[in-house]
Amino acid sequence: MGTIRKFTRRGFLGTALTGPMFAQGQPKRIAIIATVYKYLSHAQHIGDRFLIGYPFGGEWHKPNVRVASLYVDQKPPDDLSENRAREFGFRVYPTIAEALCCGGSKLAVDAVLIIAEHGEYPRNDLGQILYPRYEFFEQVAKVLEAERGAVPVYNDKHLSYSFEKAKAMRDTARRLKSPMLAGSSLPVTWRLPELELPHGCEIEDALMVGTGESDAMDYHALEAMQCMLERRRGGERGVKSVQLLDGNAVWKAGEQGRWSKEMLTAALSRSDNLQGLTVVDGRTQELVASGELPKLVPNPAAYFIEYRDGVKATLLMLTGAVGDFNFAAKLKEVPHIQSTQFFLSPVPNVTYSACLVNKIDQMVQTGVAPYPVERTLLVSGMLESCLTSRSRGNARLDTPHLAVVYQAPKESQYSRS
Amino acid sequence: MAAERPKLAAITTVYRKHSHTQHIVDRFLEGYGWNGAHHHPPMDLVALYVDQVGRDDLSRDRASRFPQMKIYPTIAEALGCGTGKLAVDGVVIVGEHGNYPKTEKGQVQYPRYRFFEEMLAVFRASGRSVPVFNDKHLSWNWDWAHKMYSSARELGFAFMAGSSLPVTWRIPSIEFPTGSRVREAMCVCYGGVDSYDFHGLETIQCMVERRHGGEAGVKWLQAYRGDTFWDASTEGVWPQDLMNAALCRSHTITPARAGFNDVFPTLKDMRRLVKNPVAYRYEHADGVKCTMLLMNGLVRDFNFAAYIDGVRKPFSTQMYLPMPDGRTTLANFFSPLVNNIEKMFLTGKPTYPVERTLLTTGLTAAGVDSLHAGQVRLETPHLVFQYQPSAESTFWRT
Repeated sequence: MGTIRKFTRRGFLGTALTGPMFAQGQPKRIAIIATVYKYLSHAQHIGDRFLIGYPFGGEWHKPNVRVASLYVDQKPPDDLSENRAREFGFRVYPTIAEALCCGGSKLAVDAVLIIAEHGEYPRNDLGQILYPRYEFFEQVAKVLEAERGAVPVYNDKHLSYSFEKAKAMRDTARRLKSPMLAGSSLPVTWRLPELELPHGCEIEDALMVGTGESDAMDYHALEAMQCMLERRRGGERGVKSVQLLDGNAVWKAGEQGRWSKEMLTAALSRSDNLQGLTVVDGRTQELVASGELPKLVPNPAAYFIEYRDGVKATLLMLTGAVGDFNFAAKLKEVPHIQSTQFFLSPVPNVTYSACLVNKIDQMVQTGVAPYPVERTLLVSGMLESCLTSRSRGNARLDTPHLAVVYQAPKESQYSRS
Repeated sequence: MAAERPKLAAITTVYRKHSHTQHIVDRFLEGYGWNGAHHHPPMDLVALYVDQVGRDDLSRDRASRFPQMKIYPTIAEALGCGTGKLAVDGVVIVGEHGNYPKTEKGQVQYPRYRFFEEMLAVFRASGRSVPVFNDKHLSWNWDWAHKMYSSARELGFAFMAGSSLPVTWRIPSIEFPTGSRVREAMCVCYGGVDSYDFHGLETIQCMVERRHGGEAGVKWLQAYRGDTFWDASTEGVWPQDLMNAALCRSHTITPARAGFNDVFPTLKDMRRLVKNPVAYRYEHADGVKCTMLLMNGLVRDFNFAAYIDGVRKPFSTQMYLPMPDGRTTLANFFSPLVNNIEKMFLTGKPTYPVERTLLTTGLTAAGVDSLHAGQVRLETPHLVFQYQPSAESTFWRT
C-alpha cells in the first residue's frame, strides 16, 4: 500500500484523475498470472494499468484494485516483475497456487488475470504458439475448487490454442460459477467510424481484413469480425465449417466470387495504412481495382467461415498490402456496405489496451463479465480449425464441435467515450 | 450553379511526397476512401501550377498519368487553361512546403498572398470569379491575410480555408455543444511556431466558435516559451487540470519512466521531456480564455479540453490525425478536408466560415509577434470581429 501512495504522490494529483468508477469500498485484490512481465508484453501493459491507472473517458482512471500477487512463468534478462513488486508492494510467487493464496493456505484474492502472451514457448504442427493458458487456468481452478471460491477470471486473448482445452476452461469456470472474460482489445477499441451493427440485423456478407503473423494477428482479426457478426438475427449459433486458402488460391477464390471484391474495396477504404505505391510517393490507392494487390501480398490467406445459420464470413490476411484491421458487412435491405477500422493506437502507449482494461476492471468490480466468454471460445476454435484446414491441404472442414451458442449483449461494448 | 462536372485549377508551391499539394491534389486525381468506397470527386482538376519543381517533384508523374490535368508555367495560364481568361470553376491554393525565405521573426514566407493576388487579377480581368479554397492560414502577414479576406468579400466568391484539424476524426467522436457557455479551452499538441501552432489554434477555434453567442473575436494574446512557460504553468496562468484532461486524450504521451509504456507525466516529468515548450494564451472579447500548448517531446497529437458551464468533467477529445510519420502511410485527415472543398465547389457555398481561418491566421501571427517581442502581452483589436459557426457539424464521422 505504502508504495502505491508513494506513486500517487508522485504525480496523480488533480481533478482529471479519478477514483473508482464502478464501486466504492475496499480495493479488490487481484492476482496476475503471466508468462512474462517485460516491457510491452501484454502482462506489462495490462498489469501496469492496474498499478498506475489508465486513460479512460477523458480522465486518468485509478481502478479500485490492488495487485496483491504476481506469478511469472519466465524471467528473461529484461524481466520487470521483481521491480514492480518492490515498487508497488506485492510479491512475485514461485507457483500459481501461492500467488492466489498470497503465500498463505487460502485463496486471498478477489479476481485473477491470466495473461499468457509473449515469452518463449514452442509451436505445434499447426504453427500455434503453445502458450500455457489452459495449464495456468487449471492451476487457478484447482485453488478455486479447493477453496469453493468463485472469483472473476480474465484470460487475455484466446482461451487456448486447442478448442478442447478452451472448452474445458469455459466449462470449469461455469461449474465453479466464476465469471469469466477473455479476448483482446480489438472488440472494445475505438472504431473509425463509430460503426455498430444493429442488434438483430440480417447479414448478407461480411469481410474482415487483417495483417501480421499467424497465430497472433489472425486471432485478433477473427475476434474483431466475430464481435460484429455475433449481433446478427438469432444470435450466435456456432460455426458449421471452415476452410483456409493460401497463396494464389486466395485470388482465384476472389475471381470466382467466393469473397467479394466490392466488400474488400469497402474494407480497404477504411485503411490508413496501405503499402506499395502509397509508401513510394504518398498516393491514395484503390488497391483492388488497380490490380496492385496481388503484387503486394506474397502470402495471402483467406479464412472462410460458414456459420450454422448459413451466414458466411471471410477473413483475408493481407500482410504486405495493409497495416491495419478493417471490416465490411452487407446487411439485408441496407443499400450501402457498412465498414469501419478497428483503431489500434500507436506504440508504446497502446491506449486501446486501456479500453480492454476498463472491461476487466468492470468485471472485477461487479462480478459480471460485460460480454460472453463464448465469443472467445468460438474464435479460439475457429482459429484452430482454420489452421487445421491449412495443415490438411486447405480442405474444407466440418466443425460440428463449434456449435457454440450465445447471445451478444445488446449494448455496444466498444469505446466511444 | 457550377458546370455539371466542375473544372478546377490547383495553384501550388511544391508537389512532392507528403507535401500538402500531394495530399490534396492526389485526392482529386486518384480518389480516396470515403463512406466505405473509393470515392472519385465528381469534378476534374484540369490545370496545375507548381511554383518550385525539385528533383523529388511528382507533378510531372501525375500529369502523365492523368492527362486531363495540364501543367502551366504561370498562375494566369493555369486559371485560363491557356485561353487567356478564367476557364475553371474552382481554385485550390496550396501554399505549404517548398523553399521560401523566412522573415526576421522566423515565419516562412509561403506565397499564398501572391498566388491569391495573381488569381484575383485573372478574376478581375475575366469579369467573373469562382469559389476558392486556400490551404492552412491565409498568409503569414496579417494585413495581407485580411486583404485576401476582404477581396473575396468584395468580389463575392465563395472562400474557404484552413487545415484538416477541424474536419478530421475525433476520438471520441463528439461535437462541441452548440450554444454552451465555455470558460476555458485548451489544445495540447506539438510542432513548431508558424507551423503546427496554427493547427492547434484551429483545433480550439472550431470548437469554441460554437459557444453561446458565436464567435466574438480575440482581445489580446501572450506567448510563453522556455522557462517563462514553466513559470506560467506553475503559477497557474492556465489551468493545470485542463491540461491534464487534454493529455488524457493523447495516444502518444512519451513515457516519463523507463519500463512503463503509458504513464501520466508530472509537471516535473514534462519539464524534463519538453525542451522548448510554447504557449499562446489569449482572451476572447466575451471573456473566454484559451491556451494553445506546443509540447514537443511529450505528445505527437492534438488534444482538446474545455470547461463548459454546468458540466462537471472537462469536455475533451482528440482531433485524430493518422500521421504518415511511421504511424500510418496515408495522411487520410486530408480526405475530409478535400470532401468539404468538393462540397463548396458543388454548391458554391463554403461548409464553414472563412472567418475562422482569418481569426486563427491572426492568432498565429500574434503568437509569433509576442514571442518576437519578448513574450509580451499584445492587444489585438484587429482580431475583435464576430462570426457565427456553421449550424451543421463538419467533422468526419462516416
